[in-house]
Amino acid sequence: MGKTIIDAHNVSKTYKETAVPVRALQDVHLHIEEGEFVALVGPSGSGKSTLLNMIGGLDEPTSGTVYVDGVEITKLPENKLIDFRLQNIGFVFQSFNLIPVLTSRENIGFVLQLQKVSKKDREKRVLELLREVDLEEKIDSRPGELSGGQQQRVAVARALASKPKIILADEPTANLDSKSASNLLDIMAKLNKEEKITFLFSTHDQRVIEKARRVITLVDGKVDSDVNQKPT
Amino acid sequence: MLVQIAWRNIWRNKTRSFVVIGSIVVGLWASIFILAFAWGLYKNNIDESVNRHLSHIQVHHPEFTDQQESKYAIQNADSILSVLKIDDRVQSASMRTIVKGMITSPTTVSGVTIYGISPNAEIKQIGLNQNLIQGDYFTSGKDNEIFIGEKLAKKLKIKLRSKVVLTFTDIGSSIVSGAFRVGGIYRSKNLSLDEVNVYVQKQSLDNLLGLQHSESNELAILLKDESALDSYITYVRQLMPNQKVEDWKDLAPDLELVIESFNLYTYIISGIILLALTFGIVNTMLMSVLERIRELGMLMAIGLNKRKIFFMIMLETLFLTLLGCPVGLLVGWLSVLVLGTFGINIAIFSEGLASYGFSSIIYPALDGQIYWIVAIMCLITALLSAIYPAYRALQLNPAESIRKI
Ligand SMILES: Nc1ncnc2c1ncn2[C@@H]1O[C@H](COP(=O)(O)OP(=O)(O)O)[C@@H](O)[C@H]1O
Ligand SMILES: [Mg+2]
Repeated sequence: MGKTIIDAHNVSKTYKETAVPVRALQDVHLHIEEGEFVALVGPSGSGKSTLLNMIGGLDEPTSGTVYVDGVEITKLPENKLIDFRLQNIGFVFQSFNLIPVLTSRENIGFVLQLQKVSKKDREKRVLELLREVDLEEKIDSRPGELSGGQQQRVAVARALASKPKIILADEPTANLDSKSASNLLDIMAKLNKEEKITFLFSTHDQRVIEKARRVITLVDGKVDSDVNQKPT
Repeated sequence: MLVQIAWRNIWRNKTRSFVVIGSIVVGLWASIFILAFAWGLYKNNIDESVNRHLSHIQVHHPEFTDQQESKYAIQNADSILSVLKIDDRVQSASMRTIVKGMITSPTTVSGVTIYGISPNAEIKQIGLNQNLIQGDYFTSGKDNEIFIGEKLAKKLKIKLRSKVVLTFTDIGSSIVSGAFRVGGIYRSKNLSLDEVNVYVQKQSLDNLLGLQHSESNELAILLKDESALDSYITYVRQLMPNQKVEDWKDLAPDLELVIESFNLYTYIISGIILLALTFGIVNTMLMSVLERIRELGMLMAIGLNKRKIFFMIMLETLFLTLLGCPVGLLVGWLSVLVLGTFGINIAIFSEGLASYGFSSIIYPALDGQIYWIVAIMCLITALLSAIYPAYRALQLNPAESIRKI
């Protein structure tokens, strides 16, 4: 058995700001080991985004605890959490991943700068990262000049910039055509294999699901099934 | 890099940025212009009062100010005057005999202040010669000429060359009177004074009063430059330790008040304009924050802390202000420069204003320091206005902001 990277116990989340409280997650247990490539599936509204937000420390569960790489992030104060996110977790969202006024180089460089990487090293890393997602030629393009798939690949490169142990991706392919989607998944799978980065991504795209090695299905805020499969 | 992001962010919505920059420009310009105009108006009034009426320094016998009786005169005023005149800080200096009395025309009587003046010396001071609308300035050679204001002439129903009688008390406290002939009718910028001030030759008045020609009730000194006032007045006080030496601020405390209150107006007027600016900036920046909720959520998710987000929004506002301020200052300065040279004719209102001692052409002017005060106030306002929108950005929860995607 490998090292545990994500460990969620009894995680429940109820949104109380709404007229009728919404129980988005109910007693979810989740255990993911280093180097896994996991798809989180389920119908819309089943709690996928909520669960990813809890794990990424973007929101607090109503009850339960979440450990990421052995750290109980549900106990971290706001400022520590920001640093923890910066160091350990890469995020890829469905859209609006990049800072629109910055080029690919600058978007990635910005995260490196937040981590106080020296200017010289930044230049080198940016090139490396863009090479990983096969987008070196778009180094000086702004997000507006890139296709949806290219933007998501830059987002993956940016998520990788902090050398995180895990990348959380919330429906990263939702806005992409199937070719770009499968291209993005191939890149993610390659990074998972070569760099041992743990991926947890939500999706409801069947072809994407097929590329995962483990598929966790949420229904109404509960884990409905958790199966290992052979990726295509 | 945050600086760079903020700078580029302001160019994302150019129209909006130009609206903010534009309102800063207009706000600054309007403040500067209104202040310069108001200052021009006051300055005009002050200059008029100082140059034509008060002079920079006046010297009286200590009792004269209270009693207003001509017997309280400065001895050897003529020799003192010639000493004063040698100084190169002095533009001109003159001595006057002053008495309160009555003027009588065939139909009416009116109370007046009679000035006995030395016609030549007063060309540069009272400037009666420039204000004459009828008659010539002490050219007849006769010593019973009197110069009266147009307003008084109307009241007394008299014309040029009419005969009037002046009645007053002499230094021995007996009542004397003298007949005079109207040598000229004047209209000055200060209509209220025109009704009471009448001018005759000093010798004639001295003779009637029983004063020596060397004596005088008032020494009036006009300086070349106001800035020499403090040093010069000290010198005059040393020269005449027993006399009462006053500068124009002592003589007309209301004028000094005008200057002080002007400073207050500076803040009030700019304050009102800047308040309007505040609403504009708060509104616009708030809009720009709310438009970018998802992006701000993403920034927080990738590791930008709240301090940095706040800083970014403040920087955006600062940039807009820094773009607007110099332009506003320049436009303000230019319009003050141009209008200060050519003047603004307010003739339509001048009838009313003239009675308060204002002239009809106003030359806007503004102290350089005021420009900076206004600009700094503008900068501070802009930054204060940005606090609320920036604070709103801090209230965002990353998870919820991103959910809006
Ligand atoms: N901030 C929120 N406020 C109120 N309800 C929310 C909020 N976020 C999610 N929900 C609700 O929680 C449930 C789960 O949402 P979500 O995690 O986004 O599901 P998924 O990503 O699987 O579509 C839904 O019913 C949704 O309406
Ligand atoms: Mg979702």
